Amino acid sequence: MGTIRVRFIIVALVVSFFAVGMAAFLNYFKYKSTISGIVKSRVLVIGRNIENSVQASLSVGMQFMELGTMNALLAREKASDRLIRNIEVFDHTGQVIYSTDRQRVGEKVPPSWTEAAARSKSTEWSTEGPDEYVAGISLKNNFDLTVGYLALRYSAEEVERAAKLAGRDILLASIFSFIGIALIAPLALIVVIRRFERDLRALEAAATHLEDKSDAPLPTGSAFDAAIGNLRTSLREANAALDDLRGKLDAAG
Amino acid sequence: MLEKNYLWRIYWRLAGVIMVCVVLALAVVSYFSHRIFDQELVPETEQKAATVGASVRALVLKATSYGIEFSQLYGVEQTFAEVFEENPEFAYMAITNTDGNVLFARGTEPIGARAHFRNPVVLQIAHEPGEVSRAARVGQQYIVSVPINDNGKPLGVLHVGIDAAFVDHVLLEVLLDVLVVLVVSLFFTLELLNFMAGARLASGLGEFARQVDRMRSGDFTTTARIRANDEIGRLLRRIDSAIDHLNVRYEFLVGELQEKMRKATGAQREALKPAQQAFEALAKRFRFGSAPEGSDLDEMNLNRIRAPLFAFILAEELTRSYLPSYVNQLLVAIPGISPQVVIGLPIMLFMLIVALGQPYLGSWSERVGRRRAMLVGAIMATVGFTGTALAYNLYDLILWRSLCALGYAMVFVAAQGYVLDRTGHQNRAQGFALFIGAIMVATVCGPSIGGILADNIGYRASFGVSALMALVSIFAINRLPTVEVVVPGTQRAQRGPRMREIMALVVNKRFMTLTGLAAVPAKVILTGVCFYLVPLYIVSIGNTSAMAGRMLMVYAVMMVVIVPLSASLSDATMRRDRYVSVGLIISGLSGLLLLLSESFLVLFGVVFLLGLGQALSIAAQSALVAEHCQEEIRIFGSDAVYGVYRLLERLGNALGPLIASVFVIFWGYQGAFVAISGLVLFCGIAFTIATHGSEWQHPAPAQP
Repeated sequence: MGTIRVRFIIVALVVSFFAVGMAAFLNYFKYKSTISGIVKSRVLVIGRNIENSVQASLSVGMQFMELGTMNALLAREKASDRLIRNIEVFDHTGQVIYSTDRQRVGEKVPPSWTEAAARSKSTEWSTEGPDEYVAGISLKNNFDLTVGYLALRYSAEEVERAAKLAGRDILLASIFSFIGIALIAPLALIVVIRRFERDLRALEAAATHLEDKSDAPLPTGSAFDAAIGNLRTSLREANAALDDLRGKLDAAG
Repeated sequence: MLEKNYLWRIYWRLAGVIMVCVVLALAVVSYFSHRIFDQELVPETEQKAATVGASVRALVLKATSYGIEFSQLYGVEQTFAEVFEENPEFAYMAITNTDGNVLFARGTEPIGARAHFRNPVVLQIAHEPGEVSRAARVGQQYIVSVPINDNGKPLGVLHVGIDAAFVDHVLLEVLLDVLVVLVVSLFFTLELLNFMAGARLASGLGEFARQVDRMRSGDFTTTARIRANDEIGRLLRRIDSAIDHLNVRYEFLVGELQEKMRKATGAQREALKPAQQAFEALAKRFRFGSAPEGSDLDEMNLNRIRAPLFAFILAEELTRSYLPSYVNQLLVAIPGISPQVVIGLPIMLFMLIVALGQPYLGSWSERVGRRRAMLVGAIMATVGFTGTALAYNLYDLILWRSLCALGYAMVFVAAQGYVLDRTGHQNRAQGFALFIGAIMVATVCGPSIGGILADNIGYRASFGVSALMALVSIFAINRLPTVEVVVPGTQRAQRGPRMREIMALVVNKRFMTLTGLAAVPAKVILTGVCFYLVPLYIVSIGNTSAMAGRMLMVYAVMMVVIVPLSASLSDATMRRDRYVSVGLIISGLSGLLLLLSESFLVLFGVVFLLGLGQALSIAAQSALVAEHCQEEIRIFGSDAVYGVYRLLERLGNALGPLIASVFVIFWGYQGAFVAISGLVLFCGIAFTIATHGSEWQHPAPAQP
């Protein structure tokens, strides 16, 4: 196989690899972000229930720091979805006020939570931990003032597991389609560059007979015919001039 | 036969086949991805529907606990509407009683829903404990049914319909990115064909063509060149061999003639006269021996700049679609400066360093060597990108970006010098076409791929990818020839413009009409809109960096497609001023579109028109300087006039984000689009009026 053909095939394979790789990458990340979004919004549905309860309590004049039924409410809502590990309510300093884990009350939440909540342009915010995600809601009173924050910690396991599974399947599909292309592309390229290779072969064949005295090969219809003709004419003329000199030298004795 | 078109025809055919293969591969990946999405996302969405259903049920039960009749509940449809607003994948919600009759419903009812609700299996759900939910495919929806059960007393069933096409919608978003990948793949294919095969092929075929021409003109001198081990290389070796044989014959005959002449006396000398005359005729007509060294510059040397330049520029272009959003994330309040201006600061500083650095870095790269200058620049940029990826806050980000800017200016100028050094007047345009080609391809591929990366792996990791690309460019630059070459007769005035020249030209009416009313506004709108407003505005309306990248790709594709066309048309008609006027006015009208609507399609129209306007005017602008500033060129010289022109143009690049950010402070993003476009429209109209006079209608012929 000609080296030029090999180079063209390598180009086809590199480009196909890039395209298939990018498509797989996009599909995988789209899947992961979609499934993360679905799970997060599922968790936030529970968060909205809690938010509604808090706002209802605040609207009847109860103090945010003294919501007596809060811990029970949090425990009930936590039990409604096995995904949720913990539900916490904290103030603007990051101190936990209510939690499904009683020992956490009074402790500080990681600064990344308060930062994420402060950065968010809506009432919803989210952040990621090492093995868990946190979805949150900024709790507002009737005057639209933020009185605290609700955080729902849920396991990253479900998203990771689903993403891993889908990632494996997408990878397999990509590998198979790349293998398919690796088989088809060389064949298709060979068909397309046949004419070019024929031109090159005609050129090479003509070049092998540059120095013999045989007749010029018949035009092959190759794009190089004119150049081959010029090449042969130039060499013939140079040889003829040298032959002439040889003859005159011989004639001089 | 050996004209460039021959190879380009082959490239396009090859690219066509490769694209068909790529499309096939992408179709296969997309098909399987759709299946995977369907299999995995639907159950997950069903779980979400069950949770939402449980929440709505809680509301219903709360109402019934206050004694309201189940069938007389108020505001249920409104609650459903709120659910739809937050969960666009839900298409239908209904509450049925224990007989399966619909009491409350909202959304598009799937065909067969009524029958499904009366199905005994579904009716049975109402009698089941609270946490149970069932899902079934009904028409074009997946219906999740949740029992409404008040302490053991069945009230009815809540049904949540998930639109089966929601997976299609999710994949449609991926499809847009896949289309971007396809376009980028096409450009990559052409670039790779050129890099991996074409450069050597073009070089080989070019060498073959030159050899044929040389032999036709009687030049049979030998060259001691190493030939590649491919088809063309073998062919050239055979030709070399034929020439060697001729030279050996020639040497032998000359030696013999000289020997005989030396020994010959009287009559013998007379007998050798015809041979002597034949030799003289031969020497007149043909040339043998060794070719002088360096007389034959390898075209490949010029081609070799393309790959490193492409890789380097791509590293920077990757960041275009998300840099402002990244800056926004690291924003630190600077007293007295609005956050909008601060966001534009790194872009502004980058452009300023490039603008001020380029004129002076040209002579520096000439002194230290182009390759070395490029290496230093690429190393600096690699460090800059790495630092940007790890930036702590805005302050160090500005430092890292400045390093990137300095590196960019160094590589750009040195690569330009590399082309200048290796081209003469006859092939300079070709050399610059290669140079600009690499930049344009990077401009098409970079922002779109960068946006996709930023959306999926984050800003920092995406800057890491840029650092990696810059690193790749270092390796490619390292492979450039170490020997500096200069084509004899090449003009190499690389000094920066002097203050005296700048001062004289900025008060020159003709020069400033071209520069101040056309070149600078064109750059202001380019960087202000494309590099600053588009990425920020798109993200602000809830879209992604990938979308910003797609938008910037539209601009780049317009430039790639229209610029060659408008350049040749404006050259042919010699009415370049009209192309500049029309281009500026179209660019100026682009942003005004946002007065009509805020829709996303309108923004697409803005970028499209801006690309069209810029493409029409950009090529004609610099040619107009030579056309209309003959007197200034005579006084200051072409290098000085063009030096000042480029300097001011690049300062326009730096001004763009500043002006746009100030407009944002006063009128918000949309207002800024409109204002900056209005400014350019004003300049376009002023330019048209200013160039309407008779002195502009009959210009002196442009200098080459």
